[in-house]
Amino acid sequence: MHVYLELFGHKVASYGFFIALGGIIVNLIAVYILSKRKMDINDFTIIESIGLLGAFIGAKLLYLVVSFKDIDWSRITNLSYLTQIMQGGFVFYGGFIGGIIAALIASKANKIDFRSYADEVIFLIPLAHAFGRVGCFMAGCCFGKPYDGPFSVIFPDNSFAIHGVKLFPVQLFEACGLVIVSFALLFLKKLLSRQFQIELYFILYGILRMITETFRYDAARGIFFDLSTSQWISILMITIGLASIWIQLKKSKGNECLAD
Amino acid sequence: MGVASLVLGIISIVIGLFSGGVLGWLGAIIAIIGIVLGALGKKNPESKGIATGGLVCSIIGLILCLLLYIACAACVGALV
Repeated sequence: MHVYLELFGHKVASYGFFIALGGIIVNLIAVYILSKRKMDINDFTIIESIGLLGAFIGAKLLYLVVSFKDIDWSRITNLSYLTQIMQGGFVFYGGFIGGIIAALIASKANKIDFRSYADEVIFLIPLAHAFGRVGCFMAGCCFGKPYDGPFSVIFPDNSFAIHGVKLFPVQLFEACGLVIVSFALLFLKKLLSRQFQIELYFILYGILRMITETFRYDAARGIFFDLSTSQWISILMITIGLASIWIQLKKSKGNECLAD
Repeated sequence: MGVASLVLGIISIVIGLFSGGVLGWLGAIIAIIGIVLGALGKKNPESKGIATGGLVCSIIGLILCLLLYIACAACVGALV
């Protein structure tokens, strides 16, 4: 648990380090898989980069929406205050929605088959996310509830977590869950011949997030009707995933009937 | 597009190395745009070389900006 790491004599933010490490590893795996399947790496780069830009904007926008009352809008033109806002505060689900919308627009504009690329490499998203969660653990953000059982952790004074209290290591719990989701998707990709990969990711991550949210203790969780905002979005994701699978199965059955 | 990618890539590296954390987020956005332009430029055989250079510079710039300045992106907000 170190907010900063020493790397070649430089002080490096551990969160950024793990995000960058995860990004490099998953991209190397993606390039390997796509080149093995003889798919265009440039097209993948375009979708991924524009998706990343959309994710950045989406994550920031949702953060600004949920923290609207806490931000001093009269100081927004002050560069140091603007930088402070821009550096901290991103909401994963905002990034997720923004990223998908941007990637879809990019693929449409450049006439790229989004589905074929997503089905190949979507299992890498939870893997990259797992690195991010390890980064969260290092920085002490996104921390868990007070807990005195096995694996409980006390974060140091300079971390983002509350100090001097034994906490549940929810970040590592979610990171393990994400690795399991990633391997499950990889297994199901082979089992289902690359079908329903996006939908399965929606369902599996939605379920995982529903569970991990109950262990979170950081800041206000935007509770509506006993569920946090992220849990509501998880329910929406699971519903979309299931509905999409059902529609596709119904379509393929209809096509089979027509062929008969 | 290749030239634009190279220019953006170099700008993002400069921001990553010398902005002292103030403009890391801006450097990341510039680097991502540089990567997109580099990938688009690589499709054109005439600008493939310079576009590859721009793509590489932009990737380095993005990593530098992420590595050095995002202290905790997924944190301070409520719902992350």
